[in-house]
Amino acid sequence: MATRRAGPAGARRAGEGGLSRIAAGRRATRVAAGSGVTRVIRARRGARLTRLRWLTRAGRPAAARIAVAAGAGSVLGTAGCRVAIESFDPITARGLAIANLFGLTLALSAAVLVLVAGLTVYVLARYREPGRGARQERGDQAPPQIEGDRRLEIGWTVAPVLLLGALFLLTIRTMSTVAAPERPEAAALRIEVVGHQWWWEFRYPDLGVVTANELHVPVGTPLRLDLTAGDVIHSFWVPRLGWKLDAVPGRTNTMWLRVDRAGTYDGACTEFCGVQHAWMRVRLVAQSSGDFERWLQQQRTSTVEPPPGQESLVARGQQVFLRSTCVNCHTVQGTAAAGRVGPDLTHVGSRQTLGAGIEPNTPEVLRRWVQNAQSVKPGVLMPSYRFSDDDLTALVAYLSALK
Amino acid sequence: MAALTEPYPQPRSLAAPGAAEGALSWIATVDHKRIGILYLATSTVFFLIGGLEALLMRTQLAAPRAGVLGPDAYNRIFTMHGTTMIFLAIMPLGLGFANYLVPLMIGARDMAFPRLNALSYWLFLFGGVLLHLSILGGGAPDAGWFSYVPLSTPPFSTHLGLDYWVLGLLGSSVGTIATAINLVVTVVTLRAPGMTASRLPVFVWMSLITGVLILGAMPSLAAAQIMLLLDRRVGTHFFDVRAGGDPLLWQHLFWFFGHPEVYILILPPFGMISEIIPVFSRKPIFGYAFVVGSGIAIAFYSFLTWAHHMFATGLGFLANSFFSATTMIIAVPTGIKIFSWLATMWRGRLRFTTAMLFAISFIVVFTIGGISGVHFAMVPLDWQTTDTYYVVAHFHYVMVGGSLMALLAATYYWFSKITGRLLDETLGKWQFWLTQIGFNLTFFPMHFLGLMGMPRRVYTYPDLPGWGALNLLQTIGAYVLGASILVLLWNLYRSLRRGPAAGDNPWDAWTLEWATGSPPPEHNFTTLPPITSVRPLWDAARAVAPHPRPPTPASSGSSPPGQGLSGAEGPARPDGRGGEARSFDRISSPVLGTLSLVASEVIFFGALIVTYLEYRTRSVSGPHPDVLDVPRTALFSLALFASSATMAVADRQLGRADSRGLVAWLLATIALGAIFLAGQGAEYLRLIAEGVTIERNLFTAAFYTLTGFHGLHVTAGIVALAVLAWMAAAGDFRQRRRHAAVQSVSLYWHFVDVVWVVIFSVVYLWNLL
Repeated sequence: MATRRAGPAGARRAGEGGLSRIAAGRRATRVAAGSGVTRVIRARRGARLTRLRWLTRAGRPAAARIAVAAGAGSVLGTAGCRVAIESFDPITARGLAIANLFGLTLALSAAVLVLVAGLTVYVLARYREPGRGARQERGDQAPPQIEGDRRLEIGWTVAPVLLLGALFLLTIRTMSTVAAPERPEAAALRIEVVGHQWWWEFRYPDLGVVTANELHVPVGTPLRLDLTAGDVIHSFWVPRLGWKLDAVPGRTNTMWLRVDRAGTYDGACTEFCGVQHAWMRVRLVAQSSGDFERWLQQQRTSTVEPPPGQESLVARGQQVFLRSTCVNCHTVQGTAAAGRVGPDLTHVGSRQTLGAGIEPNTPEVLRRWVQNAQSVKPGVLMPSYRFSDDDLTALVAYLSALK
Repeated sequence: MAALTEPYPQPRSLAAPGAAEGALSWIATVDHKRIGILYLATSTVFFLIGGLEALLMRTQLAAPRAGVLGPDAYNRIFTMHGTTMIFLAIMPLGLGFANYLVPLMIGARDMAFPRLNALSYWLFLFGGVLLHLSILGGGAPDAGWFSYVPLSTPPFSTHLGLDYWVLGLLGSSVGTIATAINLVVTVVTLRAPGMTASRLPVFVWMSLITGVLILGAMPSLAAAQIMLLLDRRVGTHFFDVRAGGDPLLWQHLFWFFGHPEVYILILPPFGMISEIIPVFSRKPIFGYAFVVGSGIAIAFYSFLTWAHHMFATGLGFLANSFFSATTMIIAVPTGIKIFSWLATMWRGRLRFTTAMLFAISFIVVFTIGGISGVHFAMVPLDWQTTDTYYVVAHFHYVMVGGSLMALLAATYYWFSKITGRLLDETLGKWQFWLTQIGFNLTFFPMHFLGLMGMPRRVYTYPDLPGWGALNLLQTIGAYVLGASILVLLWNLYRSLRRGPAAGDNPWDAWTLEWATGSPPPEHNFTTLPPITSVRPLWDAARAVAPHPRPPTPASSGSSPPGQGLSGAEGPARPDGRGGEARSFDRISSPVLGTLSLVASEVIFFGALIVTYLEYRTRSVSGPHPDVLDVPRTALFSLALFASSATMAVADRQLGRADSRGLVAWLLATIALGAIFLAGQGAEYLRLIAEGVTIERNLFTAAFYTLTGFHGLHVTAGIVALAVLAWMAAAGDFRQRRRHAAVQSVSLYWHFVDVVWVVIFSVVYLWNLL
C-alpha cells in the first residue's frame, strides 16, 4: 500500500523530470546538430540519467529493487556507466503489475539460486576427497552408499509444486489485469498500429491523423492499440510500457493501456522481420493533454505555409516531389500524393528521426536519404533517385518544411 | 577391480585390436563405435563453424553502430549459427555419445540395426553439407533457425538459401529419426542378461527417452518444412495471408517440434551428468527412480508446452494459461534432478577431475537457465522479455551452460574409453576456468540488456547508456570462451598424439563400458561381469568371489541376445542365457523398429491432418471440398481396406509355413494396393482436368499434400510387399526364418490402411454431413 500511495507523487516528479529531460534533450540536439548522431543521443541520455534513478524512485517494486540491485551492481559497476533497467520503471499501471510480479519472482529466483549454489559450495568444501596422507591414516574407506531417501525426494518434488502453484495463480491474476479492457471502453483513444518492413504506421481513425515511427499519446487517457502488420510478423515493444504484443498480418491484437507519465520513450520491433529488423525502432511521446491537443492541431493542418523568403525554394520542392515517383509510395495530405506503401510524409519535418530511428531528422541526413536511402539504411525498400543538386535542395527544403 | 581387468589386453594404440585400418574402413563401417566417433568428429567440426559464426556476430556487436558486418551478412550468420549449433552440433554430439556408449553400457555387441546406423550418419553429414552448400548456391538462409512465415515465403524471401535450409534439415532429420528408432530398439531388445530396466545406467535411460522425443518431434518439423518448400517452389499458399493462410500454423508446427527439441538437446547431457557425478563422488546416484522418472515426466510434458513460445502472438487467455501451467510443471522434474545430483555428492568423497568440475558447474549454471525458464512460463513476464536479449541469455545458459558443459564433462570422461588415452588434467583445468569465465561474461550481461530494452536478432543497436559497455563485455567474454575451446583442441590433439594410456577403467567407474578395453575391441566384450545392480563393476570389485561369465552370444539384427523390457528381474543366470527365449517371444527388433517408425509417422500425418482441418474451408476463393468424388473414392478405398484382410491371411500362411500360399496372398495385397493407387491417380487426373490444382487455394494445397503423402506411403508399402513376395518365392521364410520381416511389413501396411480410414473420414465422408 505504501507503494501505491507513493505512486502519484512519484509519477508527478517523474513527469516534471520528463519535461526537463525533453528540454535538455532538445538543447543537446541543437548543440550537437551537424556532428555525429551518437553524440546527440549520448548527450540527451546523459542529461536524462544523471543518477541511478531506477533504484531510488518511489513506486518501484521493492523486491525488484533488491534482486536486481544485487546482480546489477557488480556487472554495471564493471561496465562503468549509469544505466536504466527500463523493465523495472514502467509508465503504465499494467506494466507496474508486471514489474511487481517480476520483482517478486526475481527475489524467489535469487533465493533458489542461492540455495543451490550454496549447497554446491558447501558440498564441495565439506566432502572433498582427503589427501593421500589422510586417506592412509583413516583407511581408504568408501563413503556411505546412500541410494536415496524417499521423504527427501518427495519433499523436493512437493515444495517446488507449491511454489510454482503460487506463482501460477499470480501469473493468472496479472495476466487478466494486463489483458482487461480499459474502462470506460468507449472513451478510449483508438490507434491502429501497423508494422511494415521496416517502419511503424500509426493511424488515429477517430482523429483523422496518420503518422509514422513516432507514437504521440495523451497522458492519463485510456488507449486502445490495435496491432496488425502489412507484410510479415512484427512485434510492438516499448520497454517502459511493460509488455509487448505481436503485430501479425491478417490478425488484430489489442493492447489496452494508459500512460501515467509524460516523456519520450524508445522501443523497437522485437520479432525478426528481415534485413533491417534492427532499425525498426519506435518512439513513444507521451504528452499532457494540452501538449497532445497542440500536436493534434498541427497534424491536422495539412497544407504547407511556405515561410516568407524561402517561398520559391519550398514551392519548387513541392513541384519536384509531385512530379517524381515519390507519390507512388508516399502520402502528403492536401496534395495529389496518396501512396500507401511508405510512411505518410504529411508532417515528416516534425519527426525526430529518419529511417525508423537510424539517424536524426536533419536536412543533411534527409538529403542523403532522398538521394540514396541505401547508404543510410542498407536494404531499405526505398529506391535511390537521381535528382539534380538544385532539385534535391528544393526537395529537402520542402520535406523539412512539412512540420 | 584389478582381478576383473586382468584378463583384458591393454591396448596401446588407438585402433581397436583386430580392426580394419584406412579411410575406406571408416566409410564402410557399420560399427557403432566408429559411427559414434564419426558423429562426434563431424559435429565437432560443425561446432567450430558455429562458434566462429558466434565470434563474428560478437565482433559486430562489440560497439554500437559497428560496421564489421552488414545487416544481410549478420542475418545470414545468426541463422546459420542457430541452425548449425542445434541441428549439426549439440544434437549430433549427444547422439554421437549415445551411439558410442549405449551398446557398451547395456553389454550389447552393436546397435540393433548397424547398417541403418551408418545410413543415419551419412544422412546427417549430407544434410549438414547441403545446408552449407547454400553459401555457394545463392547465399545462406537468412530467416533465423525458426524461419517464421511469411518472412520465409515469397515475396519476402526469394533466394535459394532457405530451400537449402529446408532440404538440408529434412535430410538430416530422416537420419535423426532413424537413429532414434535404432536407440529405442537397441535399449529395449539388446540388453545383456540381467540388465533390467531398473539397472540401466541413467545415460541409457536418457538416450532412450531422447529417442522417443525425436520420434514425436521431428516429423512435425518435417511436415511444416514440406509445406514451406511447396509454398516456395510449387506456388501453394499454406502460409500466404492473402489467400487466408495462417502464419501461426507454422509456429504451432515448428514449436511442437521446437520445444521437445530443447529436451532432445538437454536429456543426454542430464544422463552424462548422472553418470559422472556419482563416479567422482564414489556413491550411487541419489534417488535413481526419481531421476529416471523425472526424465520421463519431462519428455511427456515437453509435448504440451510448445505454445509458450507464442505467448506474445495473442493466443488468448485460456491457451496462455494452459501452456503457462504445463511449462511451469516442467520445472519440477528438472528441480528433482538438480537436488538428486547435489544429494549424490552429499557425504561423498569428491574427486575434482576436469570431468567432475564441468559436471558441477553444470548444476549451478544450468540452474540459472532453468530459473529464467520459469520466468518465460509466467505469461506477463514473457510478454516483457520474449524476443529480447533476456531470452538469448536464458537459452544460452541452458544450451551452453547446460548441454555444452555436460558435453565437455563427457569429453574429459569418455575420451579415455574412446581413444585409450587420457586427456591432460592441467590443460583441462585451464580450459575449465577459461570456459566458466568466458561463458558467464558472455551471457550473464545479456539478462540486463534484455531488461534494458535490447531486442534480439539485431545486427546493431543505438548507443543507449550502458548498451555499448555491456556488449563489449560480452564480446570479450566470447573471445575468452573461444580461447577455452582452443585449449580443448590442443588438449585433444596432444593426447591423441602422445597422451598417457588410460587403461580399461581409469576412473574406477562402474558401468559396463569400463569392463572392456580402451578402446573396446570391435566385438565390444569378451566377458561380462554379472549384472545385479546399476553398478555391475562396483559389485564385482566388492564381491567375495567374482567370476566373470563367458561372453554372451553377440549378434545383431533379428536375433537379439537381450531381454524384453518386462524381462526377468533379479540376478542373471550364471549360464548367461538370461531371458533370451522370452524376449524373442515378446517382440523382435524389426517389429519394434517398425512400431517406432509408425509412431513418428503418426505425428507426421497428424500434422498434415491438422493442417487440412484448419484449411478445409478457410480459403478466400477457389475450389471447395465438394469437388471431391466421394462414392468413387469410397469404391477404391474398399480395395485398400480389403488389402489389410489379404495381408492378414498372408501372415497366417506364414505361420502355416505355406510358401506358395504366402506368395499368392502377398500378390493379392499388392494388386489391391495398386487398384487403390490407380483409383487415386484417376481422381487426381479428373480434378486437375477440372482445374483443381495444388496451387489454387488452401484447400487444394492441404488436400493434395495429405493424400499425396499417403499415396507415397502406399507405394513404398507395395515395393516392400514385392520384395517380400520375391523372397517368399525364393523360399527365404522357411523354417521360421526372417518372419519378423513379414510381420514388420504387415504392420506398416495395416498402419497405412488405418491412416487412410482417418483421411477418408476427414476429407471425404465429412462432405456428406
